[in-house]
Amino acid sequence: MTRKEYLVKQKEMGRHLLGVFPAQYPKEILWAMNIVPAEIWDPPLEITLANAHLQPTICSVVKLGMELILQRKCDILDGFLFPHTCDSIQNLASVINDYMKTEKPCYFFYHPKAPYGAAGRDFYRNHLKELIGSLEKQFGPLDPDTLKQRIHQGQKISALLTELYDLRAQGELNITNEEFYSMIRHGEYLFPDDFIPELEAFLSQNKGQGIKGQARVVLSGVLPNPPEILTLLDDLGVRVAHDDFLIGSRRLLVPANDLDDPFENLTESYFAMPPCSTKGSSIGERAEYLFRLVDATGAKGVIFNVVKFCEPEWFDIPNLKEELKKKGISTLSLDTELNQGLSGQMVTRVEAFVEMIG
Amino acid sequence: MKDLGAPALFRLQQMQKKKRPRKPNPHLGPPLKCADRLREIMTRHYYLSRFVKGAKPVAWVTSGAPVELLRVFDFYTVYPENHGALCGAQKLGPEICSKAEDRGYHPDLCSYARIDLGHAFSGKTPAGRLPRPDLLFCCNNICQTVLYWYKELSHYWDVPLIVFDTPFNFKDIQESDIRYMVSQFEEMIPRLEKISGRKFSDKRFKKIISLGSEASLTWGRVLATMKHSPAPMTIFDAFVHMAPVVSLRGLPVSLDYYRILLEELEDRVEKGIGAIAKEEKRLMWDNIAVWFKLRDWSLLFAERGFNFVAATYTNAWAETIHYLNPESPFESMARAYSLVILNNNMDHRLKLMEGMIRDYRIDGLVILSLRSCKPYSVGQYDIRRLLGERLGVKTLVIEADMTDFRTFSEEQIRTRLEAFFEQLEE
Ligand code: SF4
Ligand code: SF4
Repeated sequence: MTRKEYLVKQKEMGRHLLGVFPAQYPKEILWAMNIVPAEIWDPPLEITLANAHLQPTICSVVKLGMELILQRKCDILDGFLFPHTCDSIQNLASVINDYMKTEKPCYFFYHPKAPYGAAGRDFYRNHLKELIGSLEKQFGPLDPDTLKQRIHQGQKISALLTELYDLRAQGELNITNEEFYSMIRHGEYLFPDDFIPELEAFLSQNKGQGIKGQARVVLSGVLPNPPEILTLLDDLGVRVAHDDFLIGSRRLLVPANDLDDPFENLTESYFAMPPCSTKGSSIGERAEYLFRLVDATGAKGVIFNVVKFCEPEWFDIPNLKEELKKKGISTLSLDTELNQGLSGQMVTRVEAFVEMIG
Repeated sequence: MKDLGAPALFRLQQMQKKKRPRKPNPHLGPPLKCADRLREIMTRHYYLSRFVKGAKPVAWVTSGAPVELLRVFDFYTVYPENHGALCGAQKLGPEICSKAEDRGYHPDLCSYARIDLGHAFSGKTPAGRLPRPDLLFCCNNICQTVLYWYKELSHYWDVPLIVFDTPFNFKDIQESDIRYMVSQFEEMIPRLEKISGRKFSDKRFKKIISLGSEASLTWGRVLATMKHSPAPMTIFDAFVHMAPVVSLRGLPVSLDYYRILLEELEDRVEKGIGAIAKEEKRLMWDNIAVWFKLRDWSLLFAERGFNFVAATYTNAWAETIHYLNPESPFESMARAYSLVILNNNMDHRLKLMEGMIRDYRIDGLVILSLRSCKPYSVGQYDIRRLLGERLGVKTLVIEADMTDFRTFSEEQIRTRLEAFFEQLEE
């Protein structure tokens, strides 16, 4: 079933649909309110209409999101949620809410920026409640028991994804890079009741010996797009042993906690997530996280696959590369546009990099 | 700060410099007398910075940060954005940016950040030398970019970073937002005491808040003189004269300066002295200045009788300051700093601009779309459309950078300006 067919079906089943822009938000609250979050990262569209609203120097995640709305492909949605990810998303949210008159409610979710103090935790906890308060006006009251149940499902998903990532890290998944991310990304729109069994089936079907002696790399950046990067690595016999994607490990691998209070639980989960440029995590934390991924997987290099004009990511890269270099870890950075494929020059650079770490 | 012998050295240096008299331009009004005093203040500020290390704790601060709190601890403050503007005006942008690019910083990143990082790596600056920070103090009320940029500095120099996180005002500011910001202030104080070795004083804090708010209010009055026709100054002047409200806010010198500037401007209004010889049309500017074009463009517009009399940028240091209240310093500071234009929603921005267009009787609007600055630029195309629809104001959008002229297309912009001039003259 395609994403679109799935969403239509959800709607027919009586669920609400919220278009969610990148990146981090409390999914469990939405699920508990019978809302399916349909994340909007890189819809396969040609950017035409958005150019009248956004400058050429704005990243393609933001442009594609705007394009999706302008091409009226969001009519099925009941509203939008904008987490505060970066300056571009912040302004996009405000432009859509204030200027575009989409006639769909827009919600905004601000998360505190690092370095965190106690004030940040209190704010986050309160802000969860405020988000619920505003969603309730449109979608009806939230049942606290359902929230607890959805939190358990969220933990289950994290555990399954962690298992999937671990198996891949150890070379015990018999799938291509492309298949791995295609599976992971189903979580961008599947309701947990559907995503959990799909993940379980995927795990049991694909557990098994991967190709022996494959070269390994860690990928970093916002998301694995252009997807050609994955197929190129597949063709070159390189396994993506782990990732530091905003769409991937940075928000999916949430350490479990057993706090009974749902708000404490969600707050703890948020602050325990891996470091991220968009949250203002320090270079030290980010470098440490990358070292751990490299160490745990025996990867020989890190490829930064960065969306063009993505400020949060591009600022960190020189220092991260420097720190990795000090540990003898090779790096490559690619400046990519979503859905635009890899240029011949990029392919050559990846090939040369793979040969070097060979 | 204590004198450290700097004023004497400064006077000596000034005496050694020969003054080059500037040829009067027939299209401009008489220059502002205060300009000399401003030059003196800012030169002294940068000059003293060479000797400050060891005498005072040094903080590098973002332009929108609540500096009043740092003043209590007697921090000497350096404003990298102001330094970036200085480098831009001296046409040093590309050269210093390239020092950061050589280290891998992408040329698409904000050029203030690239200049600052380039300076950190190379020491290159037209200001002689900037003192290394003991503290980096960053407020994301202007952009998230400053957060990314300051954490790079923090890593490079291993210097503590304090972030004042101001939730974006998407619809209405919430009590929980205020509480969050107030709690952050409370968390900062012990750290600031430790870094500076000085104790927090409530009495001193309130006094500084009064001083800072008075200076900003006076700056607001300075800008408001441009509501008169002919306007006694231009926005090109204001771009330069805003330096004290940005960099020296909370110090007596900035208030003193704006008082004399205001007096001079009011005198000009009374005598009908305009900033340009013949004010035919009144324009508004949206965004930061293109620093390397400041003088050229002030003449280009003046020659045609076009005077910029308002700008969203210069207004930003006056707009929210009325919230400041020494009786509730933290809470009022949270409001004053989190509701600034770049941390406020687009509806607010549109209404603000509409109000300014009416109050200043604007005939034309120039919107600078800055490749460096996402928070200022995303939304500008729609603002142009909406202002056109609502007020019928003639608008030009130009794409450029404020300091890095490698991407500046002289010919293309010139053609667009000419077309805009024709439109205005219709
Ligand atoms: S790619 Fe970067 S700049 Fe674009 S929306 Fe994502 S975080 Fe923001
Ligand atoms: S120019 Fe824009 S992005 Fe750069 S520091 Fe200023 S507000 Fe931030």
